[in-house]
Amino acid sequence: MENTVIKINNLVKRYGDLIALDHLDLEIKQGEVFGLLGPNGSGKTTTINCLLSLLSFDKGDIEIFGKKMTPVSYDIKKEIGVIMQNVTVFEELTVYENIDYFCGLYIKDKAKRREYVEEAIKFVELGDFRKFYPKKLSGGLLRRLNIACGIAHKPKLIILDEPTVAVDPQSRNRILEGIQELNRNGATVIYTSHYMEEVEQICTRIAIMDKGRKVAEGTKDELKRMIKNTETITIEILDIPDNIAKEIASLPHVYDTDISSGKLTVYCSGGKHNLTRVLEVLQKNELSFGRVYTELPTLNDVFLEITGKALRDKED
Amino acid sequence: MFGHILKYELKNGLRTKDLIIWLILFPIILGTCFKIAFGSIYEKTEKFSSIPVAIVEESENAAFRQVIEGIEKADEPFLKATFADKEKAEKMLDDGDIEGIIFTSDDISLTVKEKGIRETMLKSFIEQYKVREKIAMDAINTAPEKAQEVIASLTSETASSCREIPLTQGNPDMYIQYFYNLIAMVAMFGCITGMHITIQNQANLSPLGARNNCSPAPKSINILACLTGSFILETICMVICVTYLAFILKIDFGDRLWLVYPSAILGGITGVSFGFFVGSLARVSEKAKGAILVSISMLLCFCSGLMMGNMKAVIAENIPWFNNINPAAVISDCFYCLNIYEDYDRFISKLITMAAISVMFIVLGFVTSRRKKYASI
Repeated sequence: MENTVIKINNLVKRYGDLIALDHLDLEIKQGEVFGLLGPNGSGKTTTINCLLSLLSFDKGDIEIFGKKMTPVSYDIKKEIGVIMQNVTVFEELTVYENIDYFCGLYIKDKAKRREYVEEAIKFVELGDFRKFYPKKLSGGLLRRLNIACGIAHKPKLIILDEPTVAVDPQSRNRILEGIQELNRNGATVIYTSHYMEEVEQICTRIAIMDKGRKVAEGTKDELKRMIKNTETITIEILDIPDNIAKEIASLPHVYDTDISSGKLTVYCSGGKHNLTRVLEVLQKNELSFGRVYTELPTLNDVFLEITGKALRDKED
Repeated sequence: MFGHILKYELKNGLRTKDLIIWLILFPIILGTCFKIAFGSIYEKTEKFSSIPVAIVEESENAAFRQVIEGIEKADEPFLKATFADKEKAEKMLDDGDIEGIIFTSDDISLTVKEKGIRETMLKSFIEQYKVREKIAMDAINTAPEKAQEVIASLTSETASSCREIPLTQGNPDMYIQYFYNLIAMVAMFGCITGMHITIQNQANLSPLGARNNCSPAPKSINILACLTGSFILETICMVICVTYLAFILKIDFGDRLWLVYPSAILGGITGVSFGFFVGSLARVSEKAKGAILVSISMLLCFCSGLMMGNMKAVIAENIPWFNNINPAAVISDCFYCLNIYEDYDRFISKLITMAAISVMFIVLGFVTSRRKKYASI
């Protein structure tokens, strides 16, 4: 169960003066859903392209299924399903024909292929669209077709590079459920995204990347334990005197406070009943306040604390 | 694997609108326009036709009448004679219905309204008749029993002395060159399908290329299958084009149409190979590459005389080697040689040149596409 599927050792990739991958090490075990999380330009897709032997690299080794990966490693490629960031289908072939084309590059037996294609169509729920041409499909359906083309041959390793970009929430959920199902059926999955919610939802282990470097790696709980923040309390309040703000800042386990835009934000590290203690201070000083909410740390907090910047832009 | 990729390459190609427009519809429309524009120019202005004349018999000349009747019985008579009185004949000449009046009396004379080749032919005919008539009269005077035989000889000799002597067994219509260039252009447009082969198989040119490179199908098999598919598609387009020109527009490609088809198909293969090679050269977007390729093709077609009939001659005079390496010129020359020359030497030489150019482009295309990994994609 714990066999290593992918081993990346000291990978360096430069584009001129720009270091796209900076001494990257990764080890992905069989049965994992491994997430590569990072902002745009952090090196996720470059890592995938090096992994697939599409890109040359300056230094390092890549092994897949215990063998060195090269462009002519056809026996390895046979076991990999690839879902690219861009939809890669033929505009002039129908849904069925597109899936059959890509499946046929892996599976020679026609009867077996027909069966696999039907299963893939069923899996992505495109049964009603099998004779449709891609240009007639919505963005979400097109993404599902892209996935079906990548997984129809039942690969042992599935690489998905940002498969949910520009997809509606309904299709996104269907895609994420599908990935988990593929994993339950035995496939090892590598999933790249800059959507932390998706990675948190489906990945069993996560590597956070920034500027071509792996800045953290572990399960989501392990990652969250790496940072000081364990709880963030936000209280809507119009005004708060300095002395009361200081009192809150001096409470046990509170390591930082922020008052801005009519909100008091209290950052806590460890401890229990932090919210109760903060509210007690406000009530004792007879300060009225609005909504109160508390949040556990997210991967964005992890990224923020490690790199000093947010994982993705607000408009994302 | 090869058959599987080929099957879908053909399906994809046959449904591609660009291919249908540029390789099937465009030549059909342009060919029809050429036919409308040039179709009757040659017949009206350059092809030989019977010369209409009026014959005014001022006194009976049985021998001359017999000669005229003999000429008119020929398959392609050079004279179309109308016997009329003087007034009617002069009116016909004024109206432009005839090109001359032949007066027969003791002497034979000719009246024409204008000077030209056809009028000169009439004059030459009369002069020859007079010479032969004198010879015949001398013969009759010497041996009167052979009079009928001498007159028959006079008829056949005079009739056969005025006829069109073709320079070639093929179609001498100079406007046919435009149709050769049109076929060459369709062949060159095959470069569009050739370009798609590289785009579809090089990871640094398209996401589809990257996706195909991730599959266990060897790149060489992929490219070979796509090339074969493109050759088949181009062959279909060339056959449709030549068939439309030869059988619908009734363009006369001479008596060796059966050789026009393989020549056109080889031309199409040259076009695809050209696109395959050029497509593999630079890393630019698919649209930019398509635009560059179509522009180059049009330029080569222009140099081969598609837009200006004498362009090839101008290039032959100034940069003669260019016509030998310009695929469009080589393709159109191939048809020209097939139509004009009796022997096959020049035609075969052009076929060999086309085949050599195709092989060179394919080999160079493979060499430039051989890279398995890319510095950036």
